[in-house]
Amino acid sequence: MAKIEIEDMFNDSGINMGPVKEKAERWLKVFFTWVIVFWAISTTIYQVSPQETGVVRQFGKFSRTANPGLNFKLPAPLETVVLVPTREQLKEEFGFRTVKSGVRSEYNNKGFDQVRIMLTGDLNVADVQWVVQYRISDPKKYLFNVRNPKETLRDLSEVSMRKAIGDRLVDEVLTSGRDEIQIEVKESLQNFMDLYDSGISIDLIQLQDVNPPPSVKDAFNEVNEAIQQKETTINQARQEYNQRVPLARGQAAKLIAEAEGYATKRVNEARGDASRFDQVREAWEKAKEVTEIRLYLEAMEELITKISKIIVIDGDLNGVLPFLNLGEEKQ
Amino acid sequence: MKKLWLIIFFAIGLSSVYVVDETEQVIITQFGEPVGDTTSEPGLYFKIPFIQKANRFSDQILEWDGFPEQVPTLDKTFIFVDTVARWRITDPLLFFQSVVDERGAQSRLDDILDSVVRNVITGYDLIETVRSTDRSEIATENLGEDVQVAPEFLIDLKLGRDGLENLILEQSKSSVLSFGIELIDIRIKHLNYVESVQKTVFSRMISERERIAEKFKSEGQGEAAKIMGDMEKELLSIQSEAYSTAEQIKGEADASATQIYADAYEKSPEFYRFWKLLAIYENMTGQNLSLILTNEGAFYDLIDGKEFKRTVD
Repeated sequence: MAKIEIEDMFNDSGINMGPVKEKAERWLKVFFTWVIVFWAISTTIYQVSPQETGVVRQFGKFSRTANPGLNFKLPAPLETVVLVPTREQLKEEFGFRTVKSGVRSEYNNKGFDQVRIMLTGDLNVADVQWVVQYRISDPKKYLFNVRNPKETLRDLSEVSMRKAIGDRLVDEVLTSGRDEIQIEVKESLQNFMDLYDSGISIDLIQLQDVNPPPSVKDAFNEVNEAIQQKETTINQARQEYNQRVPLARGQAAKLIAEAEGYATKRVNEARGDASRFDQVREAWEKAKEVTEIRLYLEAMEELITKISKIIVIDGDLNGVLPFLNLGEEKQ
Repeated sequence: MKKLWLIIFFAIGLSSVYVVDETEQVIITQFGEPVGDTTSEPGLYFKIPFIQKANRFSDQILEWDGFPEQVPTLDKTFIFVDTVARWRITDPLLFFQSVVDERGAQSRLDDILDSVVRNVITGYDLIETVRSTDRSEIATENLGEDVQVAPEFLIDLKLGRDGLENLILEQSKSSVLSFGIELIDIRIKHLNYVESVQKTVFSRMISERERIAEKFKSEGQGEAAKIMGDMEKELLSIQSEAYSTAEQIKGEADASATQIYADAYEKSPEFYRFWKLLAIYENMTGQNLSLILTNEGAFYDLIDGKEFKRTVD
């Protein structure tokens, strides 16, 4: 085609360009030869990156796999190669998308409601985001057995996750059941991948954010607050208990100690009194009358000092009080 | 001219071979009429140029993704159900004759699967679509304080999700067999409430949470009241025990003091009376005391110079 166009161009100009035409034809031949050589080399030599495996087909039939490095094959229509990232850990995100990954990754989780919102076993709703990490363990199976392995993985990952969530209480999903769910989904997804003979092996299911739906979130937080409040109330009661009971114990010990003190004092005083009485009595035994007089007078002597007025009345007189103005001494 | 022949030979050569890929199976047709068996073994094959045509069909597992359907369940809840299926072409000839190509197959699958899914889901309660096991162990298992087992959870499951999926598969498998298609599985991918139902579910969830929150609060108050009661009991017991012990100690002391006094005074009760009386005189206190004596008392006698009247024997 190109050749004809060139000829036409030269003819249209109406100038005899014979030698120029020959030269152009020569150049074209060289050009096409180089194109063919380039094509032959580029489809014969190919490079496999360290994380990849090459799968070579000869006339559509699987021929061999190629390891990383420089590899050779027959030119294009005869042998074709597809590079499959077998050593790379691949990741699929569900319910969100990493916008920018790095030290501080940015995520976008808007508009994935279809994927994220799911029903729990008690007919509540949970908002679940997760990640599937997988590897292509068999590049041949991966390429040949399933038309669209990645889509298949995505579909069945959702199927497995919904099944696991649908079999659990919303509370389990939000709190204690995470590990269990991850294990169950991994198993289920791997079973599907094996069923389809897809050459995919699941490394990890990682639940990311698992939340109650946004409009219900406040109510869930309220429960957490109520749990806190419960703890606080109980702790306050315990605190009061711990303040008052030991104090009462101390007061009880004090009361008992005081009683013991009283007892000691009482007995000792009794002993002292008894001993004093005994000694005086023994002395009295030896000279009864004179001791009595002495003791009597001593007592009276003591008493007299406190007396401001002594009245002596006749023993036969009755009704002494009407004549006596008690208390007049005060004036 | 030489060049033209070259081009013609090349075209004939190209038209007389065909390649079957690992992912394909091929049927040869001659003027539209199928000739020979299906070739599913990959490799290079020959055919009559121009007259015979190679029709390629996939030999891989293919996907079908249903349109999200709004379906009422047996218990009259409207839900969105989105199903996915895996299928493969097992009889390319039958496939070719009945649906021609994958596009035709997809639309037939839409017709059949959508209606089977609808029929099956409609015939069962929502819970059957959501749950796959009854997890009865959950009723006995200790899930910890903050997990509440709702009564909806404890039901007898008839089929469950796996059962329903199998039922859908069974019912549609035979219908698609006539298209040369094998259905591998059909799964429920999405299952969500429709918006109006979702609202009521959300308000139910909220009220359920509020109930749980109330429960925790009153549990806390109850527990606190119990602790207060225990405390009161403990306090009273401590105080009364202490009182009892103290009184006992005092009583014992009083008793032994009484005993000691009795032992001492018993030796001469009269002297004790005399002695104690004098002690009372001595210890009398006060200001402006008056002493009234008769002319017959012991003290007057002594003052008067008479004999001391002994009161002790």
